[in-house]
Amino acid sequence: MAFPHRPDAPELPDFSMLKRLARDQLIYLLEQQHEVDKLYKVESKPAVSSSEQLCFLVRPRIKNMRYIANLVNADKLAGRTRKYKVIFSPQKFYACEMVLEEEGIYGDVSCDEWAFSLLPLDVDLLSMELPEFFRDYFLEGDQRWINTVAQALHLLSTLYGPFPNCYGIGRCAKMSYELWRKLEDEEDGETKGRRPEIGHIFLLDRDMDFVTALCSQVVYEGLVDDTFRIKCGSVDFGPEVTSSDKSLKVLLNAEDKVFNEIRNEHFSNVFGFLSQKARNLQAQYDRRRGMDIKQMKNFVSQELKGLKQEHRLLSLHIGACESIMKKKTKQDFQELIKTEHALLEGFNIRESTSYIEEHIDRQVSPIESLRLMCLLSITENGLIPKDYRSLKTQYLQSYGPEHLLTFSNLRRAGLLTEQAPGDTLTAVESKVSKLVTDKAAGKITDAFSSLAKRSNFRAISKKLNLIPRVDGEYDLKVPRDMAYVFSGAYVPLSCRIIEQVLERRSWQGLDEVVRLLNCSELAFTDMTREDKASSESLRLILVVFLGGCTFSEISALRFLGREKGYRFIFLTTAVTNSARLMEAMSEVKA
Amino acid sequence: MNTGQTCRRVCSGLAWMAGLEGGDTGHGWTGSGGNSLLLPSGSSQAASFGKCFLDRFPPDSFVRMCQDLRVLNAVRDYHIGIPLTYSQYKQLTIQVLLDRLVLRRLYPLAIQICEYLRLPEVQGVSRILAHWACYKVQQKDVSDEDVARAINQKLGDTPGVSYSDIAARAYGCGRTELAIKLLEYEPRSGEQVPLLLKMKRSKLALSKAIESGDTDLVFTVLLHLKNELNRGDFFMTLRNQPMALSLYRQFCKYQELETLKDLYNQDDNHQELGSFHIRASYAAEERIEGRVAALQTAADAFYKAKNEFAAKATEDQMRLLRLQRRLEDELGGRFLDLSLHDTVTTLILGGHNKRAEQLARDFRIPDKRLWWLKLTALADLEDWEELEKFSKSKKSPIGYLPFVEICMKQHNKYEAKKYTSRVGPEQKVKALLLVGDVAQAADVAIEHRNEAELSLVLSHCTGATDGATADKIQRARAQAQKKMEGLEEEPLETLPTEQW
Repeated sequence: MAFPHRPDAPELPDFSMLKRLARDQLIYLLEQQHEVDKLYKVESKPAVSSSEQLCFLVRPRIKNMRYIANLVNADKLAGRTRKYKVIFSPQKFYACEMVLEEEGIYGDVSCDEWAFSLLPLDVDLLSMELPEFFRDYFLEGDQRWINTVAQALHLLSTLYGPFPNCYGIGRCAKMSYELWRKLEDEEDGETKGRRPEIGHIFLLDRDMDFVTALCSQVVYEGLVDDTFRIKCGSVDFGPEVTSSDKSLKVLLNAEDKVFNEIRNEHFSNVFGFLSQKARNLQAQYDRRRGMDIKQMKNFVSQELKGLKQEHRLLSLHIGACESIMKKKTKQDFQELIKTEHALLEGFNIRESTSYIEEHIDRQVSPIESLRLMCLLSITENGLIPKDYRSLKTQYLQSYGPEHLLTFSNLRRAGLLTEQAPGDTLTAVESKVSKLVTDKAAGKITDAFSSLAKRSNFRAISKKLNLIPRVDGEYDLKVPRDMAYVFSGAYVPLSCRIIEQVLERRSWQGLDEVVRLLNCSELAFTDMTREDKASSESLRLILVVFLGGCTFSEISALRFLGREKGYRFIFLTTAVTNSARLMEAMSEVKA
Repeated sequence: MNTGQTCRRVCSGLAWMAGLEGGDTGHGWTGSGGNSLLLPSGSSQAASFGKCFLDRFPPDSFVRMCQDLRVLNAVRDYHIGIPLTYSQYKQLTIQVLLDRLVLRRLYPLAIQICEYLRLPEVQGVSRILAHWACYKVQQKDVSDEDVARAINQKLGDTPGVSYSDIAARAYGCGRTELAIKLLEYEPRSGEQVPLLLKMKRSKLALSKAIESGDTDLVFTVLLHLKNELNRGDFFMTLRNQPMALSLYRQFCKYQELETLKDLYNQDDNHQELGSFHIRASYAAEERIEGRVAALQTAADAFYKAKNEFAAKATEDQMRLLRLQRRLEDELGGRFLDLSLHDTVTTLILGGHNKRAEQLARDFRIPDKRLWWLKLTALADLEDWEELEKFSKSKKSPIGYLPFVEICMKQHNKYEAKKYTSRVGPEQKVKALLLVGDVAQAADVAIEHRNEAELSLVLSHCTGATDGATADKIQRARAQAQKKMEGLEEEPLETLPTEQW
């Protein structure tokens, strides 16, 4: 449980600096510059405030501009004059000002910027908290956030020294990297003399590996995220967890001692660990029997508070576990996982397809059904035309016709596609299937699809050995490789790429993989000032996920770090999971 | 060197030093010598010599004075002709002196002075080079090519030189082509954009803005272009710039929906046009006729895009909408905007079985779905009688395990048991376990000789009540084992790893 780091593992850089920086900036901005005394959340309902001055701290979104415009115009109608201030974070966009102008309130508001982009969620996790990045970039092709990413990287390199080794893959990674380099060149001098604290930086686009993000998570932290949704590093545990009538907001990070020990564990181990922990706790409480007064005094003043705290946390996590178990057993979670594993390994495709169909027919969950369809599509290089049509039809019948737009989005993002027709095999197959019964047709389809061009994912999976060979049972208590985050069935592709590149210190020898990822020109290495870096800093690696990363990936890399004596630090545009990805692609009725 | 000379030198040197402190010598003319910066004047030589005789004399002021004197000497040369006194010079400051030199186009001397005084590049050499370049671009007799090359050769990548400023000057002199050439040397593409816009090279500005990666800049250019070009040309320009196009689309999506439509029309992008109309049918239109009309347009667009699937789906939706409207009129309740599945479910829940059947036929709902749907709906109603009738209507395409499951979900063991006998052999054990009939489950599993099933049953055996059953299974297992050893066959089936 909770494996220790190797003794020679480097220390993590101090992110509290970022936290302090952000806090001071915000306080200065709100209190000193704009004299804000009350905070409200920007919501769809109008703010009720009698104050003479309103100050909006918003993301630069057109929707938010509309909200502000409505408010200001309503005030105008009511004959009310107030001062309005809009603070954009992390930056102001021209399009937003345009909207203010078109709505006729540009003269009434004054604008400001707060260049805040890095939120340290944990000792090793920085988030830009830009969930919209995924849809904006990967669906709409909007590159506005790339500048923000470059700025964030620039800030990191001014704070923690230059990065001697840079690697990256993906179009967005490349653009961000180039823009960042340009920023450094324009403003050089500051970082040049510094010793690097972080030896490697790795930039990775989310669309390099959709598969990992689409899998059900089974590591505790990931599972909590899938079940309760972790927002900004904290989670709302409902009454079913707290076993009281109130919800409780709980911060989940390394400071929660209980959580820190189970966060990276496969869920099947968590219960055992928690009950062991509970017994230990009881034993510690019990020690107070037979204490004399002095010892008792010591106990109360020094240990009791810690024990109580631990007790509280323990009962929360036990509650969370129970609640997860209840939810997961209800929906045949095992069946679901089995199907996912089959998809990852590429066997029984026909069976998996009918499982997905049944899933849709039973209206289990729109997001889940969509996720399975996408997983099938990506692992198989697109659905065969017959399935593509029938699954979509079923889906529309179950969950509403507006999802026609969702499908169009998914196709554009490459998440749910149709296998290129032209395949002569499918033509033959459709002829054959007319002659025989449904069941036989299924079998023939299976046979044909195994003959047809193997999907890129399969080829990559084989090349990188993503599906570990298991002799006997995979012992999840003592993980052997990163596959443990998916019950030993699959090594996360993104993490494997990172591992391989770090091992080689370049993309050399991975040409085939890079080609299969359709990234021949988008993988880059840049080794510069290696000589100045200490050996300790060279084992510190910053991984940048553009478009979001999952807790499973974080856990897998933390595991890799422990094995190899590295420490990983994560920078992500947002922490994501399969449901968030699917929701970002879904069109819902306005 | 004889002694007398030395003495004199020391004396004049000391006097010079005194002058330094008293502020005397430097203020007057320092002899006639020194028409170059590189030649030290006689008295400073003397001072240098005299300095050796003073202890603890800080060298800075000496060095500075020497430098100043050299500068003064240099500008006093008759070629230059700026006879300044020391105090005039100090009053003027070096920056102003440099400016004067620049105004007289004495660039080489100015640069020499900067280098000699080791002024920071940005204030010194680069500034002068930039001035030089600005002068250079005014030489109308030299060709654009030559000027641009000459400037680039001299300036190279000198930090602090803004090529865009020089280009702006060139443009000011009416040399647009030269300006564009010069802008090519500007490393920050963002800096190129404003001037390009001013020069009405908006398309070039657009590609430069895109290169800069600054979406705001791109947007600025876009709005510029939009006002400058006619609509058709504007769209054509966008078409060649996907990044700008997607940016503009994003904007239109919120602010100018009509423009968005025109954009798609221009590109013959029927697929997106279809999606656009579908979105419209959900967004604004309240009246059903309007929505159906929007869907019809969408379907037409999909046909043009050769997306038969989307077209058919849209047509189905039109049909469904009309039908839902009718249902609302005739039966009351809410049907509009339910999915097909939910529409049928609502009908069954409302007891309109006939209508439900009709709808399922009209929309060709597959059998499997219909069975799941009816099963769930009837169980929700707890209409067990109807459920049983339904189960017997024909052979279930989804098997009978779901019947057992759904009854158990409603905690109706009695009903659940009715269906266990009809569950197929593969799922029988599971069904029996669901209704809690461990003993019979054990019998079936033993009959199947299926190891996985046996252990599943075993895991359900609890305490004393199922003790006998557990024993029975163990015995059966042992027997199977023996048989296997006798036959030396492969084991029946290995235990699947039930883990996740």
